[in-house]
Amino acid sequence: MDPAALVPTPDTIPVAWGWFQFLLMLTFVLHLLVMNAMLGSGIIALVTHWTHPDGSPAICRLTAGKLTYLIAFAVNFGVAPLLFLQVLYGQFLYTSSVLMAWHWLAVIALLILAYGAAYLYALKYKPLGRARSGVLWLVVLPLLLIGFIFSNNMTLMLRPDAWRQYFDQPNGTLLNLADPTLFPRYLHMIIGAIAIGGLFLALMARYQLHESPHNTEKSVSTGLNWFAIATLVQFWIGAWLLAVQPAPIRTLLLGGSPLATTFLALAVAGGLAAMLLALSRRLIPTVAVAVLTVILMPLVRDLMRRASLAPYFAPADLTMAAQTQYGLMILFFILLLVTVAIIVYLLRLAAVATREEVC
Amino acid sequence: MNYPVWQLSSAGGGLLIAAMAVFHVYIAHFAVGGGLFLVMTEIKGLRDNSTAILDYVHRHAKFFLLTTMVLGGMTGVGIWFTISLLSPAATSTLIHNFVFAWAIEWLFFVGEIVALFVYYYTFGRMNHRDHLRVGWLYFIFAWLSLFVINGVIGFMLTPGAWLTTHNFWDGFFNPSFWPALCLRTTLALMLAGLFGFVTATAIREEEVREQLVRYCALWLLAPFALFLASAYWYATGLPQPLHTLIFRRAPEIVPYVRTFVVVSPLLFAGGLLMAIRLPGRIKRPLAVIMLLLGLVYMGSFEFIREGGRRPYLIYDHTYSTSIAKADVPRLQEGGFLASARWVKNRQVTDKNRLAAGREVYNNLCLPCHSIGGPMHDILPLTAHDTPLSLDARLRGMGRGDTFMPPFAGNATDRAALVAFILQGLHARPPLPLPAPLNLAAPPAAAPLPFDPQKDDYVLLAWPEFGLNEATDADHLFGLLPAGNQLNAQLIRRGKSPQVVTDGVTLSVRYHGRATALTQQEGVFSATITPLAASVPGQEGYQPYPLVIVEARQETSGKLIAITQTVLPVFTDLGCRNCHGGPWRQANRAGLSDATANNILAAHDRLSHTDLLARAKAGKPAACRECHADPRFAAPGESSRINLSAALHGFHALYTGGHQGSAACHLCHATDPRGASRAFRGVHQAVGLDCVNCHGTMVDNAISLLRPEVEAGKAEASRLFDQLAHASTTPASAIKPRRPWVNEPDCLTCHQAFGAPESDTAFNGWNHQKNDLFRNRFDESGSLRCAACHNSAHALYPAASPYGANRDDLVPLQYQSTSYPIGSDRGCPVCHREEMKDEMHHANSLREMRNRE
Repeated sequence: MDPAALVPTPDTIPVAWGWFQFLLMLTFVLHLLVMNAMLGSGIIALVTHWTHPDGSPAICRLTAGKLTYLIAFAVNFGVAPLLFLQVLYGQFLYTSSVLMAWHWLAVIALLILAYGAAYLYALKYKPLGRARSGVLWLVVLPLLLIGFIFSNNMTLMLRPDAWRQYFDQPNGTLLNLADPTLFPRYLHMIIGAIAIGGLFLALMARYQLHESPHNTEKSVSTGLNWFAIATLVQFWIGAWLLAVQPAPIRTLLLGGSPLATTFLALAVAGGLAAMLLALSRRLIPTVAVAVLTVILMPLVRDLMRRASLAPYFAPADLTMAAQTQYGLMILFFILLLVTVAIIVYLLRLAAVATREEVC
Repeated sequence: MNYPVWQLSSAGGGLLIAAMAVFHVYIAHFAVGGGLFLVMTEIKGLRDNSTAILDYVHRHAKFFLLTTMVLGGMTGVGIWFTISLLSPAATSTLIHNFVFAWAIEWLFFVGEIVALFVYYYTFGRMNHRDHLRVGWLYFIFAWLSLFVINGVIGFMLTPGAWLTTHNFWDGFFNPSFWPALCLRTTLALMLAGLFGFVTATAIREEEVREQLVRYCALWLLAPFALFLASAYWYATGLPQPLHTLIFRRAPEIVPYVRTFVVVSPLLFAGGLLMAIRLPGRIKRPLAVIMLLLGLVYMGSFEFIREGGRRPYLIYDHTYSTSIAKADVPRLQEGGFLASARWVKNRQVTDKNRLAAGREVYNNLCLPCHSIGGPMHDILPLTAHDTPLSLDARLRGMGRGDTFMPPFAGNATDRAALVAFILQGLHARPPLPLPAPLNLAAPPAAAPLPFDPQKDDYVLLAWPEFGLNEATDADHLFGLLPAGNQLNAQLIRRGKSPQVVTDGVTLSVRYHGRATALTQQEGVFSATITPLAASVPGQEGYQPYPLVIVEARQETSGKLIAITQTVLPVFTDLGCRNCHGGPWRQANRAGLSDATANNILAAHDRLSHTDLLARAKAGKPAACRECHADPRFAAPGESSRINLSAALHGFHALYTGGHQGSAACHLCHATDPRGASRAFRGVHQAVGLDCVNCHGTMVDNAISLLRPEVEAGKAEASRLFDQLAHASTTPASAIKPRRPWVNEPDCLTCHQAFGAPESDTAFNGWNHQKNDLFRNRFDESGSLRCAACHNSAHALYPAASPYGANRDDLVPLQYQSTSYPIGSDRGCPVCHREEMKDEMHHANSLREMRNRE
């Protein structure tokens, strides 16, 4: 059976595909940053509990204070890119999701478990005592599983040639385990999350810890160390990921496509620079370069996705609907500005209230 | 069809989405109303300068945050995940058409989260004015989320003009948008009170607890009237077909409508009870019960709305099978398996039939019917099915069962599906083709003697109905009584024979009992009832009982003529073919109680009647009480369609696809392999069948429905519309007819009583009752057509399956042939000599055309 015959016919789109591409990249970067901070800080706090079983390290307290927000916004910021991904690649994503339906649906149950446990960790941090790490396991483990499920789906959607397994296993229990890119890709994401998590904790320590300068800087250093070590590991994982890519994709990244090669080179350089900046304890420059690197990575990832799907489809192939919705898109952008303005207003009110309380 | 199907079994049938959606929707409405509740209660606390109330608001805000964020927010994403797994095609349609609505809703969701975090985490730490402002912003964001989602959900039920324009705004501000928004907003406010009970009843100080529980009760009760008014607006504002489906046709929605109606006063009463001063140990569990009641309430509303959308996911656009309405004709023509993208078995063979059937099931059934699960389990629904009945039900989908989508496949797909359900799921062996029944023929009947030289009288006798069916379950319902009318004409022989009407008495003997015949227009008749399908001395089903007819001089009582004929009664109607149950008699005939009960249950389910309960209470209904039946001069109810139109119109949806007279044989006692083989006259011998005179089942149904459509009866129009496309004659060209009044006219084919110029009498109806073959007289105006030709469906020579002579005893008696009386120039039978004039009808003086 020709894998192309299995690819569903896509629906029409209401505005030119480039707009959705832009929105996908924009919102995915937001999601990636928050998700990384969420998962990374969780993992770091868990390890810290392990290394400090009797204490309450600042890293853990910071994590406890932020984890519920991070989960809420990681999910929320995940909604938008998933929406735009469905607009552009729905015929691939829906199909791979159905093939691994039970796993995909399990994301929701795992999320509720993690979120619930995160509230328990946050609201009962003190009374939990030594049980904190146990509760944090209930946060981190589901989140790690969710990441693994996502990695499976995001790789399976790129491989219509693997979809034929459905006919032998149609009950929604497939995973993309035979894909050599799966595990390096998953590790790439997890290690990336640990790096950004470390950076996030360093930032939080610097601006929200309200402890002695010595303690604050110690926590900042801890966060930066996590970032630097994870980034160092990331070079190995990244190389592994590159090595296992199918030849056309690898070629693309290693000179075949000037754009992809440039993005990748910049991202690698960014990672290296951020690592060096972290080791030199320059927090804000590290954050700036790391964020730029995080912006570059989805661009590389997107080019790889497009190349993988090229035999079957390109977003430019999508047909425009007879009734376009540019007016509605403008309304969306206007409401985006209004919502951002209101959010800024709300955060300022919160900041003022917190400041007044501190004073 | 475009996407793979997640092959579930017991968890299929929409269980996952139902569980996820009801739970989410409940909390999501709370997330809206509860936002206003927080702000208003905080204002109340500030106005009353009550720390206790403000503490309560703070605690409630925590409960609110955890409930709406952890459970509400996550299950919201869960719904999205679930629908994309269960109905990816429809999800894709929604996403691609409403991507900016979803994107805008996402913005509001972001605003909601930020506002709620700020509200809760700055409680008591921010100045009151700003804090209230944050609360208001939360509520506005939450309500705007509802506003957007309401547009998309409403679109799925009432897409309105979008179906033709595909304009976003037409779909968004669809016909049910505003009433639904009103309904959901008021419901959200009520739920705020309902959830408020949970935290308010936990307050330790009795005074504060009582005050706030009463306050919550106010939230529940105050919007109640507005909510019910919105519900009424919503229900009455639905487009007519939807309204009819939800409130009149779809049987599966009934329990949810009832639940909604029952829970409404319960919730109100519960609210009042909560407002009364009661101990905390009572109010606390009561609050939990109220919360569960609210879930049931919300669930019933959502099930009504979802049920009302059936058989669509997007009304009039995408069926619940995720197949676009526009694609169905193509799939019915080309076949589902041959066209679908994600199937393995494109060709069906004996080897892969069950696997192919499973694939058909996965795609076309599983979206609504689980296998062994709680949602519309297919196993009990098909437990009594036969291959025939299941096939009929599949054919009737989308037409008889309008809450099911039309079967989007061809005969091959259907056969594979039937095999999968019956053999694969019910583990039944494949049924061999039924063999013709061996009939237990009664003792041969000999014609009575007639001496053409000495006998002065000829007594012609015939049954009023040659195809006389009876439903022998009158204790459960009355359709066709077990009786038949015996007709006779007495002729005094001579050069100018006379039809005798005076000075004689005629009687009929059946099973030893004599019944007098009464005369009208030269025809003597009596109705024999009950008439059993039995013959003395013969066991088993005997549908051709003989009767003896005698004519005596009135004064002397002297026997002047005697004859013998059959008075048939057929009880092997094929109801059980689809309705299940055994035969009542001799394993081959009779309507068993089980079959009759199943019929009543089906009628009750589809027409919201209580016929089964009435039957069980010993008060069986007769069909003609409601449905006019001109055969029995029963007027029925004027709003309902007549019985023949109802029976043929409805069943044609299911069985009308069977070829030719096979469709007729499924129900009528005419199956040439069955126990009665009621169609046995000369027309059968020359190779005609039901369709030649009555048309196909669909055409016949349309002819019966047309007068009812013209009379403005909605049900007739619905059936007519469903059938019109399947007729072999253009529906508009089919002439309307009243049953038992306008029937196929013999002269349509036998023009001027000659040899037939056509073999199609369909659509050539006689104009009035007196023109019916059974009522018609010859051109002399003295003899009934049937007196010489026998009754319709048994015209001489008739080959009775229960002994070749059995139906022809009268002509055999008088002329030693089974041909019509007087055929082959047999004028002397009555005239005692050859005649030259064709006084009875043209072409009567000639040799019999169809000789045995």
